[in-house]
Amino acid sequence: MATVDKVDKEEFLLDEKTLREIESMKGAGQWSIVWRRIKKDKMGMLGLYIVLFLIMMALVSWILLMVDNWLTSANLLLGDPNNPASLNNLYIELWYPGMDQSNPIVLFQHPRYQFADQSTLPPSWEHPFGTDRLGQDMLSRVFFGASVSLALGFIGQMTTVIIGTVLGSLAGFYGGIIDNVLQRVIEVLYSMPGFILMIFIIVLFEDVQIPGGKYAVVIVFFSLIGWGGTALIIRSNFFSLKEQDFVEAERALGASDMRIIFRHILPNSLAPLIIIITLGIAGVIFTFAALAFFGFGDPNAISWGDDLNKWQNNLLDYPWMPMFPALFIFFTVLGFNLLGDSLRDALDPRLKD
Amino acid sequence: MSLKGYIVKRVIYIVPVMLGITLMNFTLINVSPGDPVIVRLGLLHCETPECYNSAYNREAIEMGLLDNDMYTVPWFERYIDFVNDLLHFDLGRSWYNTQAGVGIPISQLISERMVYTITLNVLSFIFSLLLATAIGVVSATRQNSIWDRSLTIAMLLGYSMPLFWLAKLIMLLSYSLFNFTGVVSKDAFKTPLIFNPNFYKYLILPTLALTLGGLVFMARLVRSQLLEILRQDYVTTAKAKGLDNRAVIYKHAFRNGLLPIVTIIGSSLPGLLSGSVMVESVFGWPGLGTLFLEGALFRDYPLMMATNTIFPLLFLVARLLTDITYVFIDPRIKY
Repeated sequence: MATVDKVDKEEFLLDEKTLREIESMKGAGQWSIVWRRIKKDKMGMLGLYIVLFLIMMALVSWILLMVDNWLTSANLLLGDPNNPASLNNLYIELWYPGMDQSNPIVLFQHPRYQFADQSTLPPSWEHPFGTDRLGQDMLSRVFFGASVSLALGFIGQMTTVIIGTVLGSLAGFYGGIIDNVLQRVIEVLYSMPGFILMIFIIVLFEDVQIPGGKYAVVIVFFSLIGWGGTALIIRSNFFSLKEQDFVEAERALGASDMRIIFRHILPNSLAPLIIIITLGIAGVIFTFAALAFFGFGDPNAISWGDDLNKWQNNLLDYPWMPMFPALFIFFTVLGFNLLGDSLRDALDPRLKD
Repeated sequence: MSLKGYIVKRVIYIVPVMLGITLMNFTLINVSPGDPVIVRLGLLHCETPECYNSAYNREAIEMGLLDNDMYTVPWFERYIDFVNDLLHFDLGRSWYNTQAGVGIPISQLISERMVYTITLNVLSFIFSLLLATAIGVVSATRQNSIWDRSLTIAMLLGYSMPLFWLAKLIMLLSYSLFNFTGVVSKDAFKTPLIFNPNFYKYLILPTLALTLGGLVFMARLVRSQLLEILRQDYVTTAKAKGLDNRAVIYKHAFRNGLLPIVTIIGSSLPGLLSGSVMVESVFGWPGLGTLFLEGALFRDYPLMMATNTIFPLLFLVARLLTDITYVFIDPRIKY
């Protein structure tokens, strides 16, 4: 009966393993459990590292550009801040008090400055990503494009999620006529292919002048039409949660509707919200890149999508020009997708495949 | 309710949704800044303001923005006109595509291009559905094997790749291998299309790109659905009673997995249409998407209105069809 013993032992071992896992989770909060689950998921950690790296890159590039602009406008560096072609504004430079004004530390080529004698250079030590037709350093373009590209993704997704959450919670909590109207509106918005509707709107509102340039218009309309998915998920979450005992108890204590919604039901819907945001950012970055690719972006902005649009027809002869911005769009979307999938598995193990 | 009654009800239900969509689009056009007449006049050269004004008025009347007594037509009247024309299958005349000074009827433009979009989309939809099913079944039945892992990673990479860029990369690859970029030229569309070998030659790359685009989306879903179902009790029962693996998967698991898959495919159709716009414009495929993009670049409002009516209509009809297929997939559903 050796075989039977062996099987029993194996089953027992497995059980012990599970028990150990349960033991290690004891006393840990929900978020620390989620964090441990993500740490075990190699792909999720890869996604997290990619996302963190990109966020760092966006922040550093934004700060560097700000510092450089500030130094120039405060007359600490030579050059005219409003004219990127001004001779002393070719590089992103650092300067500290006591340093020779005409000889600061040169960090990067300025993303806007065009070195006419250095156009269409293939990747080399001096220009690791090559240079484009205008003589701009591609590495610098890609590095400084990160802040605009990522900011667009974050802002676009956050505004849609906020609108969707507010409307979805109202519809889910009160039901009735609000819910009915909301559902019809979502139906109409959902029947339009989003990308086509966005192009339509961008063309119509091309001439609108609002602070923030063309991309501000894009973001406003994107959040006005994109909230449907979030609203539907939050709505169904509210429907199931508002029947639960803790809501009933809170109501018996005399809590107002707003308190119930924002202090009790919404925190319980946090898990789907986090998943929507992470996976959604990937989608938004993708959409904005696609819009820019087809010429509906802002040609003056430094962003990956616009660079891709500018050089897409040079793919066959100068492949490095469009390749690097595209590669970074790809990595960003990949990172957010990996992180989002891993978060979904960690927050809701029932959905794990 | 009988199936027939259900279908009639759903068809009637399309009407208010379409009204909502057209009203939304029409309102957007009307609240947007800019004067379309000036856009249409473009670089018209006039010596005197009178000449310009008369040209302006002529064009505005032609475009239906002014009536014959030079009064502005209110936007709701124009909307009612638009809906009325739509009910008579008249989509108006294009502002940008003109022939001898008169706009070409949009229905003519669209009927010329419709066949290209439908060929491309139907072909790639069928291919991606078949491939996605195959890939989903392979990775779900051999979960955590090397096949499953590599397929999952490949799908993930494809999923994160922007579709327009995928199309460009396919173009680059084909150019370096066969010296053929796949950008369509005139000889591809000599009628009859069926007997035109060039048509098929130029169809290959756009179909490939769109197939891959749909495939990566669907394969993930098929895999996760099948995995969910393979854990069910009736699958265990089927295995326990000695059925071979093939019968278990295709007779028991797969048929039950179809329903959620069909739902998700139905709701992903607008994405497929958007994808078709991207792929068409990369390869210069003269379908509806290219027509729409051209219209958008030249602010051809009637053409944009028309495409904005047709794409949602296609989507609503497709969703109706998916809902009807439920009945055939799942005998428990009765209407």
